[in-house]
Amino acid sequence: MDNRPSRHRHVRIRSSRCEPPGQRRLPRREIGGALVRIGLLTEGGYPYVSGDARLWCDRLVRGLGQHEFDIYAFSRSERQEDGGWTPLPSQVSRVRTAPLWTVEDDGPVHGRRARRRFAEAYGELAVALCTAPEPGSPRSAPGPAGPEADRFGSALCALAELARDTGGLVGSLRSETAVRALERACRGPRALRMARAARVPELLDVAAHIECALRPLSLDWYEDDGLGSVDLCHATTGGAAALAGLLAGYFNGVPLLVTEYGVQLRAHYLQAPDGAPSVRALLASLHRRLAAEVYRRAACITPGNAHARRWQERCGADRSKLRTVYPGMDASRFTDVGESADCADPRTLVWVGRVEPSKDLISLLHAFAEIRKEEPKARLRIVGAAEGADGTVYLGHCRALAAQLFPDEAEGVHDVGDNPVSFEEIGGPEMPDLAEAYAAGAVVVLSSVVEGLPISLVEAMFCGRATVSTDVGAVVEVIGGTGLVVPPRNPRALAEACIALLRDPKRRERLGAAARARALELFTVEQNVAAFHGIYLEVVSHTPVRRVLVDDAGEPLPFGTPAEAHLPGRWTEVRTTAGRPRWASPPGGGTAPVRATGPVKEPVPTAEGAR
Amino acid sequence: MSELGELDRPGTPGSPGAWDARSEAWLVGAGRAGRGADGPAGTDTCAGAATDGCGGAATDGCGGAATDACAGAREDGSPATGTWAAGACAEHDAPTGSRDTPWGGFDADEAGRLGVSGAGMVEGVHGEAFGAAGGDPRGDSGTAEDANGAQGGDHGARGEQHGSRGVSRAETSVDSTAPVRAPRSHGAPSAPSATSAAPAESATPVGRPVARRGAVDPVKALMHRHHDLCEQAVDPLEIAAALEVHGLTDRAAARFRHRDVFSLAEEMYARVPRDGDRLPPPPNSSAPLREHWAWAAFALLPGVLCAAAVMGLRSTEGSPRLAVAAVGALAVALALRMALGRGPLRTPARTTPTGNPVWTCWLLAYAVLGDGLLRAALEGGPDGPWPMATGSALALALAFGPAVWCARLFATGARRRLAASRGLEEFASSVTPLLLGLIGLFLSFLGALLALCGGLLGEPAPYAGTGSLGGLLLVARLLTAHGFGRTPAVVLGIAAAAEATALATVFAGRLPCCAFLATPVEALVDAGGANAVPALVCAPAALILLIHAIRTLTRASAHAHPPGSP
Repeated sequence: MDNRPSRHRHVRIRSSRCEPPGQRRLPRREIGGALVRIGLLTEGGYPYVSGDARLWCDRLVRGLGQHEFDIYAFSRSERQEDGGWTPLPSQVSRVRTAPLWTVEDDGPVHGRRARRRFAEAYGELAVALCTAPEPGSPRSAPGPAGPEADRFGSALCALAELARDTGGLVGSLRSETAVRALERACRGPRALRMARAARVPELLDVAAHIECALRPLSLDWYEDDGLGSVDLCHATTGGAAALAGLLAGYFNGVPLLVTEYGVQLRAHYLQAPDGAPSVRALLASLHRRLAAEVYRRAACITPGNAHARRWQERCGADRSKLRTVYPGMDASRFTDVGESADCADPRTLVWVGRVEPSKDLISLLHAFAEIRKEEPKARLRIVGAAEGADGTVYLGHCRALAAQLFPDEAEGVHDVGDNPVSFEEIGGPEMPDLAEAYAAGAVVVLSSVVEGLPISLVEAMFCGRATVSTDVGAVVEVIGGTGLVVPPRNPRALAEACIALLRDPKRRERLGAAARARALELFTVEQNVAAFHGIYLEVVSHTPVRRVLVDDAGEPLPFGTPAEAHLPGRWTEVRTTAGRPRWASPPGGGTAPVRATGPVKEPVPTAEGAR
Repeated sequence: MSELGELDRPGTPGSPGAWDARSEAWLVGAGRAGRGADGPAGTDTCAGAATDGCGGAATDGCGGAATDACAGAREDGSPATGTWAAGACAEHDAPTGSRDTPWGGFDADEAGRLGVSGAGMVEGVHGEAFGAAGGDPRGDSGTAEDANGAQGGDHGARGEQHGSRGVSRAETSVDSTAPVRAPRSHGAPSAPSATSAAPAESATPVGRPVARRGAVDPVKALMHRHHDLCEQAVDPLEIAAALEVHGLTDRAAARFRHRDVFSLAEEMYARVPRDGDRLPPPPNSSAPLREHWAWAAFALLPGVLCAAAVMGLRSTEGSPRLAVAAVGALAVALALRMALGRGPLRTPARTTPTGNPVWTCWLLAYAVLGDGLLRAALEGGPDGPWPMATGSALALALAFGPAVWCARLFATGARRRLAASRGLEEFASSVTPLLLGLIGLFLSFLGALLALCGGLLGEPAPYAGTGSLGGLLLVARLLTAHGFGRTPAVVLGIAAAAEATALATVFAGRLPCCAFLATPVEALVDAGGANAVPALVCAPAALILLIHAIRTLTRASAHAHPPGSP
């Protein structure tokens, strides 16, 4: 079968399952007797040097050395592919990649039957996309999915099966059949109001976008030796990666775990091109339904923060499947600063971050002006560099404003003065590294008006600093009760909170210690890895993949998988101490895990056992 | 909010209007004052509040019922009522004129009894908006100062006694007594009291509450700020995403009396005025094909080279003539290859290679050499070089320019029709005449060129054979250029094979006992001349391809962007 519009780089590094059972190498670090083979699905991510969540995935894979990882990666661009991979640890047994940015349209042209199947499935998909949701239907309510979700899911499944059976889906998705089905659905009853206005060019656009979104359907990853052989699919993002996991679930019953640190659907809304309203409406519908289908089928969903969680709930994720796993950060850099006593200048405020308009440094400067009225000795250090043209211009504005608000001042008449507000960058002589930056201040301030999960706040918490931040994004969730939070765009509130902390070193210390404790509990790498380890085992134990074994003729073998196969531990392990009772084996000689049953005899090969 | 159906929502305000002449007069004045950049902040506040209130009330169809105030009243009476729209919709159907208390059952006595709510309302005026903050969850626990609270309660009561027209007056008086700070120009309408995760830590006394530019309907003000976003949004979630990017959190959404950003976005999405018949503006005609005009020069190159080669052929004899012919053929072939690599006839990237070039070359070679060879073969030859149909060659080479031009006309015409047509059927029916017309145009060009070349070179013009060959090649190339390369390859192959067979039968007829093989071709040539063979081969092939083209090239998907670039 040749249904691959992709140029795979299929690297088989080490695959212990390819060895005959007798010679199978035992994993050295078996914990709890379970070895999980995880299909890690990434999109524009992990193995590539320029990947998005590269560090996180790398820590995860390295942290879970007791499991096996198969990596299935989508690359975003040619440049990314040319950039190469990061060095992979030994637990990665294979890597398969497929590009999302190009397509080779040389699959076989569908025959009559395949065309009919395609037209049927695509028609269903188009109707599901173009149909307006029932008015008044509670979208966020968990529970059994409505007929619409079923319709979309079954259409998707039918298309995937068609792609697996005959290939050539890419050409069909852009064919006249597809456009015609879209047109019919747009003109049909209960169609979206905006979809009704779609003209021919818009229909073509939509068909092209659908083809792009459904490219994972045409891959050859879902064979029995591909994603069919893993115990668990872990999609590190939504979108294409999760769709691949979804298909593995369709075809092989592999459970799917979806991790989203930023909700893909939301990113889609924000990046939506300025197309015609009908195109945007239909694409939004497509991505919403895809996300809903992924959430519906996933065994477990791990949002990275409460914000992502809310979005996922809104898009139909069942609340019982959601498990927030905060991203982990390397805490060791900040250990020295966090553990040592506060030796900073007690009147210094520090702001750390990337200088951008959304950080609202102007507001911070105004707040600092108020602080200076009460605390004339206070100083403000703004640490960070500007990125991009916008940031540079903004930094210039901030410098100008600081120079206007605060004239240089000196201790005495003969001293050289300097400005109470300093703009610095990491790596300068005064601030060699990030931890030093946090250590320099008694209070760390965050004045953003827009923020996702504020990294600088987490770092400040690791450093054990008292913080004052604005109530945006996930700030409250991160800080808990261990820092002060004020409304955004409110310099006076910010100033008063800062003054309160500057005047109260005891409270500062208390808050800092609490913040560090909270950060160590919630935001460390170890926490992240341990959480995923637990989730893996839980998902695998709840939804084990039952594979039907077939014999040479393709007939299913009723008892092909013996009951022992489901026991913890490796039942196929070679008994080196055969013939001797267990207690007679030399102490410490065997590394075999404790079994729940008696010793199993040499396993009978499945094919023979059935004959 | 999400549990409200469409019918429960208040009507969407379409335009700011006033509900009576008096308030309109006031509104105009206040609006003008408010619009002045340096106007006093108090006036500014009033203007904002009143404009929004008027607009909302007037177009809601609630008449004099100040919807937000109603909502506020409701909120005080039964704290669980929730949202602005919920309060407003309760008033939606009630005729105004027949009601004694347009404030929705909230009268002065009740106001006096609910002293707390009066204070809450005053706090609202200071902080946010008159009606809006009446239902503010924090309203009851507001920290308004006592004097202001009493005063405000008084004003509030008076306002209620005045009924509907008291709205603006009550606000005016309250605002005139309240200390007003000029609002930030771009500031979000945010609550003055600090919302804090650790209230004990940071419950700082915020002096006197600061009056902000108020809005009776805060959602409306928000919609005004995000006007473009609301207009263009295709989905409530899109508005929600954009609002979050602008820094609006769930806690901020609580000030709009919504549980979260999503329900706020849903209300905004539902309240955007949309006239169902309005179509999106048609796309600004078809984007011009952005390409260099080099293809035009390249399209003429084969004709020029072929003309030079023909002149060379006619002026030379013997072996130099052979060399000239070889060089000329090579040059024309290279020029054709270059010309086909760009312009409207180029094949899309990553198409499967077909045998097209081979068959095309064979067919062209037959058009130039085949007729002479056939005639010579039938007469028992060929003895030495047979005559070449240089006229056909020249006409075909010169016709390449018009062919490219026709292809371009087809591409632009199809694109224009694509942008204009509303349905696939409409597009197909408008493109078919274009296709047929352009092929007819090309054939007439080719005929004229054939006649011209024949006249110039003194040869008989083989209209039927060469004409149908030209048509065949053009349609095949058009199909290939639009990504349908398989059928043309097959048809061209069959045509080439048929011509080769015709030649081969003539030669095979010379074998003993095989004379019957040459009979059909002989009969054909006797009836219609040597040119009848290519005519009989190419014309049906061209017809078949034309029918195929009418079926495929009139599809919209044939004119979509190439795959890989959505």
